[in-house]
Amino acid sequence: MKNILVVSWYTIREAMARKVFIFFSGISGLVVIFTAVILGVTNVDSIVQGFAGKNAAPMMAEIVSKLEIAITTPLASLGLLLAIFASSSFIPIMLEKGNIDLLLSKPVSRTQLLWGKYLGGLLVVFLNIAILIIGVWLSISIKFSLWSFTFLWSILIITFTFAVLYSIIVLFGVITKSSMFGMMIAYLIFLILSPLLKFGHGDLQNIISSEFWKGVIDTLYYIFPKTSELMSNTILTLAQGQGIENYQPLWTSFVFLAAMMFISNYIFNKKDF
Amino acid sequence: MNTIETTGLTKVYSSSMGRRRVQALLDLHLSVPQGTIFGLLGPNGAGKTTLVKLLLGITFPTVGSAKILGENINNYKVKKRIGYLPENHKYPPYLTGGEVLNFFGKLSGLEGRSLEKKIDELLDMMKLLKWKKTKVKNYSKGMMQRLGLAQAMLNEPELIFLDEPTDGVDPIGRKEIRDILLDLKAQSKTIFLNSHLLSEVELITDRVGILNKGKLLQEGTVQELTDKEEYLINIDEESGSLPDNINTSILMKLNKGKYSLKVNDIVELNKIIDQMRGGGVMINEIIKHKDTLEDMFINLITESEKENQA
Repeated sequence: MKNILVVSWYTIREAMARKVFIFFSGISGLVVIFTAVILGVTNVDSIVQGFAGKNAAPMMAEIVSKLEIAITTPLASLGLLLAIFASSSFIPIMLEKGNIDLLLSKPVSRTQLLWGKYLGGLLVVFLNIAILIIGVWLSISIKFSLWSFTFLWSILIITFTFAVLYSIIVLFGVITKSSMFGMMIAYLIFLILSPLLKFGHGDLQNIISSEFWKGVIDTLYYIFPKTSELMSNTILTLAQGQGIENYQPLWTSFVFLAAMMFISNYIFNKKDF
Repeated sequence: MNTIETTGLTKVYSSSMGRRRVQALLDLHLSVPQGTIFGLLGPNGAGKTTLVKLLLGITFPTVGSAKILGENINNYKVKKRIGYLPENHKYPPYLTGGEVLNFFGKLSGLEGRSLEKKIDELLDMMKLLKWKKTKVKNYSKGMMQRLGLAQAMLNEPELIFLDEPTDGVDPIGRKEIRDILLDLKAQSKTIFLNSHLLSEVELITDRVGILNKGKLLQEGTVQELTDKEEYLINIDEESGSLPDNINTSILMKLNKGKYSLKVNDIVELNKIIDQMRGGGVMINEIIKHKDTLEDMFINLITESEKENQA
């Protein structure tokens, strides 16, 4: 465990040396400050009273959840896009000649090395997302005096979404020793495949008449990670204070992640360097 | 006790489609005794680095097995007792020299004050202490090499693998590295040295192995490998005739009045001198010429290449 922590810590150092994570932290910080300032100068109470009269409380809660979603979801998505880009080279750099030789000459198992790199990447993203979500949440909650703690779970949901995408990057990094392929596959799943399969599993089922194609789409839907659902539906219900209503996207994505990491670990342990 | 023992170690690299196969190491049986400096020599692509990588578990053998420090090479925990300086090593450019050592020290199981103390001690020994807080991306090649050596010595290893340790180091630095290696040997540490610099290997190694195309051609002490003595004899050919019974396989005419004589020892030389003098030959000069490791290496590799072509 100690070895994993050492590798993780130095992966965080590696991440901090890259400007992308600093850039995202900077944007998050600016958004938090901007939100706090705008809310500070806005007289929200009189606006809500004007619209809702005596039923101001439920409307206030809805405004809070919508504000939280409106600010954090696009930023967190941008954060994930940047994180995929920045973390895609962690494994290929580790596998470079002269680098991997040194690491493997130390009393560290290959599994520890791989998991250290993986956890280090996750921790960096977790910290970045936590700064953003906690900052926005505090600004909104203080202003409205409404504390929706369940929204904070979205820090873990977004980090988990990244964990799934990062497992793809790790697998292709181990196989190809290059950052490009894993990054492209992760973007493909995050931006195209997952939204398409979500649509195919939902609304499209009513349009398609062929049972065969329905089956194909459903199979693909269950195989691939549900990053689109995690980043929209799950976070929406968390912001509304309802908790996680549907665990299926979580556990099926987790199975995908586990499979990716198992294969990565197997290949890494057999590979010649 | 042997620190390294290999039995029939063989490595074949195959391309991803399996079409191209490269025999990097073939049926290697090698023993390196404890407390010695062993030099592994060979031209580029001979299999030197492959052997080190196999011993360190960086690459896996196709056939055969090996033990280091009495443990099977598959046991990664034995690396706590090993140091390694690879050729063309890379360190994270955003770390300082001190941080690089801290990272590898922690991976070697060291921590706390003892690690900090060891880092300062080694940086001082390598004349890098004042560069401790400088990022390694600003280090010169020689400084990187010295940092690499410090890294390899961090855990006070019993066995150290060094791949071209003096590469990029100036002559004074080389001498200092040689002294460090001899000092380590005096502490009963075993050093496995891969180097192209034959003159340096000759200066410090106890035993030498010569590898070509994955095969171990010869192994022994430098003395054993360069044992054949050669003499250049300059005679006055008109003063007498060379005896008929002289062995022509050891005496070779170079040019007028000059002969090259290869003998195993001084007794054989004296016998031939007696024969020459008996025939009335006037000897003008005898020059002793001993094969250097480099001469022997080049001859051996050339012969091996000829055999391979035949």
